[in-house]
Amino acid sequence: MLQAGFEMEPFFLSGERGALFCVHLYPSHIAPKGGILYLHPFAEEMHKSRRMAALQARRFAAEGYAVLQVDLTGCGDSACDFGDATWETWLADARRAFAWLSAKATGPIILWGLRTGASLAVELASALPGIKRLILWQPVVNGEQYLNQFLRIKLASEMLSGNQAQSGTKDLRAKLEAGENIEVGGYMLGGAMARDLARVKLADIPSPCPVEWLEVGAEEGESASPASQRIVDAWRAAGVTVHTRTLSGEPFWVTQEITECPSLIEATTEAISRSI
Amino acid sequence: MKYTEQAIVFNCADCRLIGIATQPETPAETGVLIVVGGPQYRAGSHRQFTLLARQLAGQGVASMRFDYRGMGDSEGDMRNFEAIDADIRAAIDTFLKHAPEVRRIAIWGLCDAASAALYYAHTDTRVSRLILLNPWVHTEAGASRVRLKYYYLSRLMQRSFWTKILSGKIELSKSVGDLSKSARSAAKGESSTAAAPSDPRHGSPGYIERMLDGLKRFQGEILFILSGNDLTAQEFVALTQRDKRWKKLCHSPRISSETVKKANHTFSSQTWRGQVETRTVQWLASSGKSI
Repeated sequence: MLQAGFEMEPFFLSGERGALFCVHLYPSHIAPKGGILYLHPFAEEMHKSRRMAALQARRFAAEGYAVLQVDLTGCGDSACDFGDATWETWLADARRAFAWLSAKATGPIILWGLRTGASLAVELASALPGIKRLILWQPVVNGEQYLNQFLRIKLASEMLSGNQAQSGTKDLRAKLEAGENIEVGGYMLGGAMARDLARVKLADIPSPCPVEWLEVGAEEGESASPASQRIVDAWRAAGVTVHTRTLSGEPFWVTQEITECPSLIEATTEAISRSI
Repeated sequence: MKYTEQAIVFNCADCRLIGIATQPETPAETGVLIVVGGPQYRAGSHRQFTLLARQLAGQGVASMRFDYRGMGDSEGDMRNFEAIDADIRAAIDTFLKHAPEVRRIAIWGLCDAASAALYYAHTDTRVSRLILLNPWVHTEAGASRVRLKYYYLSRLMQRSFWTKILSGKIELSKSVGDLSKSARSAAKGESSTAAAPSDPRHGSPGYIERMLDGLKRFQGEILFILSGNDLTAQEFVALTQRDKRWKKLCHSPRISSETVKKANHTFSSQTWRGQVETRTVQWLASSGKSI
């Protein structure tokens, strides 16, 4: 298929707590086939995966979709400090971005998210009518496990800097619950964010619309990782259509160097052209 | 001081690049171009560059941060810091167009962006100053020397190291193995014209010589900010002590240097970031005093 030209417009969208940085990509000469809203992952994962998100967004735009990427409150180029953000603020940001895109784009609206951005997309879809499909890249299925992994970054850096680790994740969790903010790898984590993140359990919120569930692993396959597959099975039992695929590649949201995973982009683009 | 942020698309060759200009109401004559180094994009690790831009604006200094080709939101294939001259030039053109009160540019760069700034600065008369953080001068031999000096020798003096060895928490044979490997690598002679990191993405042969050449040619003022707890910074310090040419240049009155104690490579805490921001603002305000 001949790829269409597309426009690239960065701008600031007004949010509850200040301006939200956005990039809007849309086809130059045709009405978009649909709108795709991208929700990014947590803290440094957002930075590491920025290029992959941009590559996929440009690919979608070249295929004729309007794509909106939004930096959530306290992230990227948006207003506030990371420590000011809560999961609720992020949901509100995502709603605003959704409303903006719905007003601009013709055709159906799709939500696409990576890691906690995928979890956020599932929550948003269950709260808003009119979302036609979810594209979930390596979703965080259990927020509590994710939070503990995030806190381990702090413990690891304490050990690497030659200090005795001051505490375990339990102590850090207790501090957060007592309302203390904790700095992890340069990001201030607020107690409210930690509490809400720990409550995220995709098993409890079956998607209201069809899902493309895509993961990256050592080997290609038609299923997801075992931990994810349990959620997928539960969603399917609840009547949700879920397509799963694992692509071979590196976990680009955490690699030391910026990495690309072209097979994920191919598979995602293929999935979306099949669905509409 | 109040400030505004403006998202901008501009071109470099046949690619569209994205940048953000942050401007106070009445900006100082010198504006800061933040060039991104390492595996990052324009917001910086733990948003260091976004937060820096806002601090600068609060103190009356305009800035622009941007993704060069192949980075973050910008188009193009991935490229390394040795091939971004055109991107920096396009960014400065765009910055000056959007910030007409800015007359001169200070380039602010961390890690390999500091190296890129040294390549570029002397080719553009608009660039009057450089703020270079933990400049990237990595080679295998250089890193081994630093590991020997700072890591092994300092550890041999530590009581806790010996306690860990005696209690079996550190494998003695592994430590000795690492130590002798570092010693061998450090002792290996290398000509500075050929020296390069093992991964070509991190610098091609002779890249440190080209940095030195840029340093010689650039006539403006330079501030080096170094982290107290970072191998990259230690490699740079070791180079300026070991190599007479670097040593001589770094002692020139137009070059000053500071260390942020205990800070790691990316200054990953509010405190360390704050110290970098403060020093940047103070040094910019002290314009021209040393020349």
